[in-house]
Amino acid sequence: MLRSCTAGLRSIWALRGRREGAPRLSTDLQPARRLFSTEKVIHKDWALPNPSWSKDLKLLFDQFMKKCEDGSWERLPSYKRRSTQESEDFKTYFLDPKLGEEERLSQAQLFTRGFEDGLGFEYVIFKNNDEKRTVCLFQGGPYLQGVPGLLHGGAMATMIDVALGSCTGGAVMTANLNINFKRPVPLCSVVVINSQLDKLEGRKLFLSCNVRSVDEKTLYSEATGKKLPLAILGLVSAVWGFFCLGRGGVDLVF
Amino acid sequence: MLRRGFQVAVILGHHGTLPGATHLLPRFNPASAFGSSTESLVSRFCQEMTKGKNYALPNASWGPDMLSLYHEFLEKTKTSGWVRVPSFRSNRDHIQGFKLPLDLSANSDKSDWRLFTRCIEREGQGYEYVIFFQPSEKKSICLFQPGPYLEGVPGFVHGGSLAALIDETFSKTAYLSGEGLLTVNFNIRFKNLIPLGSLAVLNVNVEKIEDQKMYLSCVTQSRDQQTVYAKASGTFLQMHLEKDSSRQ
Repeated sequence: MLRSCTAGLRSIWALRGRREGAPRLSTDLQPARRLFSTEKVIHKDWALPNPSWSKDLKLLFDQFMKKCEDGSWERLPSYKRRSTQESEDFKTYFLDPKLGEEERLSQAQLFTRGFEDGLGFEYVIFKNNDEKRTVCLFQGGPYLQGVPGLLHGGAMATMIDVALGSCTGGAVMTANLNINFKRPVPLCSVVVINSQLDKLEGRKLFLSCNVRSVDEKTLYSEATGKKLPLAILGLVSAVWGFFCLGRGGVDLVF
Repeated sequence: MLRRGFQVAVILGHHGTLPGATHLLPRFNPASAFGSSTESLVSRFCQEMTKGKNYALPNASWGPDMLSLYHEFLEKTKTSGWVRVPSFRSNRDHIQGFKLPLDLSANSDKSDWRLFTRCIEREGQGYEYVIFFQPSEKKSICLFQPGPYLEGVPGFVHGGSLAALIDETFSKTAYLSGEGLLTVNFNIRFKNLIPLGSLAVLNVNVEKIEDQKMYLSCVTQSRDQQTVYAKASGTFLQMHLEKDSSRQ
């Protein structure tokens, strides 16, 4: 699905007005693709045990790895920087080549993977393709504190956003997120986030999840979310951009 | 120094798994509930610390937009009652002399534990933000300049990182407005992506306070208000902090 969307993007060449405020038209873009760093960097897969992982987390990881043996489950790898075809395409089509931000952006890294071992988000996601659901094992480290001793609600929201995203097929953006917190999560403990795709309405993906303790006895929170493939953003922007010259941005009402 | 007349209190009963957030409600005398005025909370909570870095101050990574708006609000702290909320590495630094209700302090808070939105030390790489609070209207404004470590969609801010900062701004506003402490509900609708390095302004309001819960709203937009990045709402549970008698 994503490939055809990307192909659609190539022919539309929409650029949403970002820093300068005015959306650009296709004629402003270079026809050739801007080259990003082409070094072959060996990307570390962060969704693997490291010394900071607690016993609980390692145990659960092993249990799920066993489930992967017959192919019913798969472990999703996780990288700090995205250099997939999709993200390069996105960068090319949506960023202004003239602004010279390449240097700063090259420092950019995926938010949830920007911490040293054990300090931030330690997580791994296992996907069950048949049942269209995922299980995310998450250990929140000492840099994710909110109320002293507890995991920050926003850190939990971030992981819920990630977990819901893992149920989708490709590059998506979040439209909505609604979270009900039932009990606070102690910092440095392990929780299990069970997520699933509830329904697909056109391109809109409706997802839900619950966050539980390892023994499943405590329900920490429940959430629902709506996500959209990134390509739809491009298509909508292309149309709006054409008609809304001079406006700072596009208010996407879903 | 901390006001002495502060109410001690609340023994938090240990509840079972009741639905909703009610299992966290403490048993206490309703008449004494949340008597701390916004004024006393501001004076206690917004003190400049002599030790410990205050992150709510400009640094070399702040862009011109962020700086100019910061100075605008700094003026307002002198002229129209706005308060610049200090920001420390850990919330523990805000509540010196007080402690959480028993049920919540299961984990001992270690000194190297950090507030999530202050987790990235390097200037300009993560969250650069400052919150200004207007006590008379129970509203705040947060100036936010996201760095490259907050990336989600390439070149733009991770939705979760924005959600976290909104939750954090809610949290400070809720506490100062009436001891709102824990998030019970959080809802966010993303409208537009925020480019890394640009300035976003979060406008937070307390909509109402009812049944021990505070309801807040937030609109995140560009400085010129032409682009709305996200709209969010949150519900916070009000909770007293107990005086920590083990300390001086």
